[in-house]
This record gives sequence, structure tokens and C-alpha cells, in this order.
Amino acid sequence: MELLIKNGSVYDPSNGIKGDKTDISIKDGKIVEKVSSNASVIDAGGRLVMPGGVDAHSHIAGAKVNMGRIMRPEDTRAGIKPRTKITRPCTGYTVPNVYAMGYRYAQMGYTTVFEAAQAIMKARHTHEELEEIPIIDKGALTLFGSNWPTMDFVREKNMDKLAAYVAWGLLASRGFGIKCVNPGGGEMWGFGKNVTGLDDVVPNFDVTPKDIIVSLMKVNEMLGLPHSVHLHCNNLGKPGNYKTTLASMELAKQVKPSKDRQVLHVTHVTFNCWGGTNWGDFESKADEIANYLNNSENITTDMGQLIFGSATTMTADGPVQYANAKLLHAKWANGDVELEDASGVVPIFYAKQVSIHAIMWAMGLELALLTKDPYKVLLTTDHPNGGPFVNYPEVIALLMSNKKRQEEIKTLHEAVHKRTKIPGIERELDFNDIAIMTRAGHAKVLGLLDTKGHLGVGADADIAIYDIKPDQIDPSVEHAKIKSAFQSAAYTIKGGEVVVKDGQITATPMGRTYWVDASVPDEHTEIMMKDIRMKFKNYYSINLANYMVQDEYLTHPKVVRAGVIPAEVS
Amino acid sequence: MQTVTLKPIKEIKISVEAENISPDKFAGKTEKDIQSLEAWMGNQKTTLGELFSVKAEGSGAAADTKIVMDGNFSRIKRIGEGMTAGLIIIKGNVDMHLGAKMSGGKISVTGNVDSWAGREMKGGELIIEGNAGYYLGAGYRGETCGMRGGKITVLGNALDFLGEHMCGGEIIVKGNAGILPGLSNNGGKIVIEGNTSRPGSEMSKGTIIINGLVDEMMPVFKAEGTEAVDGVTYRKYTGDVIVNGKGVLYLK
Ligand SMILES: [Zn+2]
Repeated sequence: MELLIKNGSVYDPSNGIKGDKTDISIKDGKIVEKVSSNASVIDAGGRLVMPGGVDAHSHIAGAKVNMGRIMRPEDTRAGIKPRTKITRPCTGYTVPNVYAMGYRYAQMGYTTVFEAAQAIMKARHTHEELEEIPIIDKGALTLFGSNWPTMDFVREKNMDKLAAYVAWGLLASRGFGIKCVNPGGGEMWGFGKNVTGLDDVVPNFDVTPKDIIVSLMKVNEMLGLPHSVHLHCNNLGKPGNYKTTLASMELAKQVKPSKDRQVLHVTHVTFNCWGGTNWGDFESKADEIANYLNNSENITTDMGQLIFGSATTMTADGPVQYANAKLLHAKWANGDVELEDASGVVPIFYAKQVSIHAIMWAMGLELALLTKDPYKVLLTTDHPNGGPFVNYPEVIALLMSNKKRQEEIKTLHEAVHKRTKIPGIERELDFNDIAIMTRAGHAKVLGLLDTKGHLGVGADADIAIYDIKPDQIDPSVEHAKIKSAFQSAAYTIKGGEVVVKDGQITATPMGRTYWVDASVPDEHTEIMMKDIRMKFKNYYSINLANYMVQDEYLTHPKVVRAGVIPAEVS
Repeated sequence: MQTVTLKPIKEIKISVEAENISPDKFAGKTEKDIQSLEAWMGNQKTTLGELFSVKAEGSGAAADTKIVMDGNFSRIKRIGEGMTAGLIIIKGNVDMHLGAKMSGGKISVTGNVDSWAGREMKGGELIIEGNAGYYLGAGYRGETCGMRGGKITVLGNALDFLGEHMCGGEIIVKGNAGILPGLSNNGGKIVIEGNTSRPGSEMSKGTIIINGLVDEMMPVFKAEGTEAVDGVTYRKYTGDVIVNGKGVLYLK
């Protein structure tokens, strides 16, 4: 199978291509130097061509997502679309069904998406859903921040054991990297409490959130994992939490990256760049976070942009969800994952005239516009916490047009003028910045830049063509056109196959699931497993034999090797 | 002015999704147009013309459109769904979701209506001369707001959970109501002339007036003495105290 894309106006940041008219040759699902004259041809006609979109942080599969569906039948009704000859029925807006997840991402030109949080114990559920999401490649980050073995090995200061546990946990969950949510807080929530800062001691374990974060960063680099530690900071959802976020970022200085990427990814900053001391003096400190990012290396973030309307908050941060449910008088689901973590799900409606929501809307945009290097701020909505991922085109248009932002600001609560800097920010991002924030940056942060997020020879042939001629449009003025073009790709090509044409699904191949097989010395695994077997014998409600995700759960696996021992390339 | 008359032409045993029966959908349409409007009967696609005889006279906007339905419509669901204006007169019984999400206009029914009549209604008026089923003026599964505005009057009885999650508007039941009227409601006014049981549980706002007997009270209200409403003296309660509710319950 050969394909040639001609006359595209190509934006491929990691290969330094900024709108040049370049042809792209595709053979057997990969981008190649050239193709024969038998290749089928797509004439892009000067339209915008980018690598397929990559999303490093979204909640697309697993126990929390499904809890959202169960508790929100009204959301299911909000996005109903009957089946067609090639697509299955779609439902939902904030918590779509599995099919809609794949179709809707592909329709926006996205081809790779990572679920940002799975507990090892719930990983089978995650993979059962991932196996049903069509088209896109995917993977899942595994929660390690409040796990009993993590905290035991941190207290023992035994990094070999911790590395062995992480490697085993990734295998057990077929996970891709280390997610750390409100470290220590998940455990304390079991007692109805929470940690309040990086130096609080977690009872019964005698470790602090700071110890957990630093230790996980150390073993992440010992193992040479493709991605870095992915951190949801402590104190999320509390006014004044930007200080905790800055202090957490400061910890990254203690660890050297093992690869050309960050050592710490701080996620959904919209929820943890909060100033003030209460809801009355609540204000944005996104500028402080941006300032820190501008003066530091090795840290990346994502926006977690707020979208007005319906959202469903879902996180392993159990205590913050209890607080949310109380504050909003909303439906609340609470989950306890035995020795591993907590979780909570709460629906929310973000309203333009609610001061807190208007200020939060500004935070994500401020972060993206005040941080100079777009590789340091990825475009996300922390789907569906800040809003559903189908709104990425809205965020793109906001970032590219100050005019659109000013129009929006006129409709918001006046607090947006006094408590944020957004009204005075004139910067407008260009197509190259957007290509970084929606593709190249995500691929780099995930450690997948060899095959994802770019269009050089050897990359996966995941490509999006949008109905915009970059040299003939002024995004600042024609922001509505920008939004609608990114909502509905002219073409989405996944692994060399046209899966979307003119915004309609044309094929539904099955994507692959990425996971990391990290090797450690056998003797470290043996010592670590003694503790694990004890935990299962004494505490877990299930048997070790029923715990591991088996290969049967991944019908299209893509294994990435890592480890303390240099692994042979397979 | 446009008048459209619908009569069943056969016995309908399988439920029909008939959200197309609405002044908004009929306005300015010919008989033929109306006959060809879609409806689903079970899992089969059909048309209004296949199910009903359609007679249309005159022409007009939705506000000037009157639909007269004569016969047994007890398997016809979603009549008047989302309507914004106009009039529907039903001489007979109807199935579920009558006038759901309507925001204006008026529907009157001489017979009985099944569950979910007036659910998530925003405005307009619904008059039911017979009895109403469950969840009158409520929110459908998962919704945090049921009825938000408008008025529902039932001359007969209503079954359980009337006005659940109600956020505004008014429901008047001349007869008796089933258990838990105004469950979790957050605004609006409910008046029950007859008897009921366990009213206002989990209510955070809104008013419930009961002129008949209350079989059982939930122990979640605070007694506030007596108060006169329109010249009638009631025992006044506020609650639900468990949710810090500011709802008001008036009992005889
Ligand atoms: Zn998240």
C-alpha cells in the first residue's frame, strides 16, 4: 500500500518544517523517502498538513470513566448518534461510549491518545475498554503515588526495590508510565483525611509526598522509561495551591533526565495554579507558573483548559472530589482501590457568570500564552475534567486569536478582569506553535517522538489534513474558520490508511496499545516480590494470580522496552 | 390559523415515538407533508400518515396552530415534545413523555397520561383532566433539574415522584398523589388537594402545599409554627435539614 500526499502546506515542528509545500510519501503504514508511480495520490491543494494529533492526558477508559457513564445517564443522552454501515452507535458528551471516543478523536485529526490514570488493580477494565476504542493508538499511565509498596520502599530508601516494583506494576497493568496523583493523599483519604503539603507525613508509612515524588522520579530515570513521572499535584482544588505546584516543580532539580525529555510533567495546571486563600479572594497565578517554566529546564505541563458547559470531574484524588461534591451539592461517586489509591467522580457545569469558573477559564490560556516555549505547555482539557476533548478546536482558536478572546471576555464574569491577566495578553500562537502543543510536544513528552508527532522518514503514517490554506487565512480574524476546520479534518490518515474524509469516518481499523516492558535485575524482583506476596496474602481482596493483566487483554500490543539492564531490541 | 385533526386508523399495540406531533412541526405544512412526517413504531420506521388520518385546514405559524387528536393514543409517546407555541387538544389517553421539554403553548388531555408527562418542561401549560402516571414534571434519569417553568394541572390523581428534581414552575393535583412528591426538588411550587405520603424529601428549595392528609412524614423537617397562605392556616415546616434545605412544606 503506497500513498502520496501532494501539495500540502506542511507543519512538522520537530523536522523544522513551517508551512513549506512538501510531499509526503507513505508505504506500509510508515513515512518513507519516496513511493513508486503506482501510489495513490491525495492532492492537499495547499491545505494545512500536520502529523496526526497526540494527546498525552485524557480520560478515555477504565473504572472512573465508566463510573461517570453509570452516574450520568443524562450525559449519555446528550450525544446520541445511530450506527452507520461502518460505525457503531455513539452516545455521550462528557463521558462518551468507547466507539465515540475513537471516532471523535479521529474526526479531529487525532491518532494517538493516552489514558492518564489507571490503578493496577483496575487495569483489566481499562484494557477491556481500550480494546473497544476504534482507530486511535493508545496507552495508559499507571498510578503509583499512594500504593502501599511504593510508600514502603520509599521509606526503606530502597530504590532498587522501588524500581523493581514500578517495572512489575507496569507489566501487571500493561501500563506505559508512572502517574502520581496527590501522592500520599489517596492513602490518607482512607481515613477521611488528606495531605496539606509536600512535607506532611503519611501516617503508618512515615513518608512525605516530597519523598514519594523524588523517589518515583529517581526510579523513572533509573529505568529509562520513555515518559517522565506524570504528576497531579497535592492540594489540587484548594485556593493558594500554586505554591505547592511551584514547590513540586522545584523537586525536579534533584533528578537528572535519562533522555532528551523532561523529568517531571505537571498536569492540568488549570486546577493547580490557584492564588488567594479562599473562594472570595481566589485569583489566577498561572503567570507565576509560566514564569517558573520560562526559567527552568526539564519540566513540562499541560493546560487542562476549562470549557464552559457540562463537564465530569474524575480523578484518583478522592478527597478533592468529596470537597467538590459538598461544595456543588452534586452527585458524587467515591472509590477505594484497596492498597493502591482512591478515586472520585463529580459532574459539574462551568458557567460564564460564575467568577471562579471565569477565572479558571483564563488560567489555562494564560499559562499557554505566557510560557515562551510551546513544548512546555501541551494543549489538553484534562478530558472530561475541564471539558470534553471535542472542544480542542475551540482552545486552538482561542490561542490563535486575541480578537476571539476579547469577544469571549465580554461575556464573562467581571472577575476575569481583576483576578487574571488574560485581558491584557495580546500574543497569538501560529500554526507551528499549535502543531507543537497538539502533536510534537505530546509525542516528545511521552518519549514517542521517534514514530509519533512528526512526518519525517520512519514515522508512523499518522497524518491530518485540515481545510485551511495557511497562507490565505488570518487566524486572528477568521477564528471561526480555524475552529470548524480543526473540528472536522479533511483527511485523517492512520497508519497509512484514510480513516476520515471530510469529517466523516471512512474506515475503522484497530489501533495499538502501547505499554512499557522494563527490565530489572532478577534478584531485585525476587526481593520485591516477597513483600508483594505478603501484601496479597494479608490485605488484598484478590489473589495475585488474578491480578495481572494477561496478554489476551491486548490484541494489538506495542511493547516499548526499557529497563535498568540495557534490553536487546526486539 | 391552522387546525390539524388526527385520528388513529388502526389499533396501535406497539409504542410509537411521536415527537413530530407538535405545532412547531406541523405549522405551515400541508396534509401530505404532515402525513409523511416520520415516527418510529418499535424498531420500525413509519409515518404519521400510516398511523393516523390527517386533516389539515388553513395555515399558520406554530402559535396559530391547533392540533386536535381524537381517539385512543395510549401507545403514542412524546406528543408535543419541545413545543414552543400553539395548542394540542387530546380527546383520549396518551402514553409517556407528553409535553416533555415544552417551553410554550398549551396541551390539554381529557383522558389519562402515562409517566413523565411534562418532564423537564420550561414553560407553557399542561392540563390533564384524567390521571397522571409516575414522575409528572420530573427530570428524566440523571437530570438535576426537572420542570423549570410553566404550569401543570391534574384534575384526577398522580402517581409517585411527581415534581422530582423540580427547579421551577407549578404543579397542581386536584386528587391524590403517590409517595414522595417533590423529591429532591430545588424550586417551584406543588399543590396537592388530596392525600399523599412523604412529601419534600431531600428538597433544597421550593414550596409544597398539601390540603389533604399526609400519611407519613420524613423526619427531616423543622417545625416553624403556623402560617396563613391565601387565607388558609397551615402548619409550616422547612427542610430537608439533612441537605441544609430551604424548602417550605405547608400541611393542614
Ligand atoms: Zn486527568
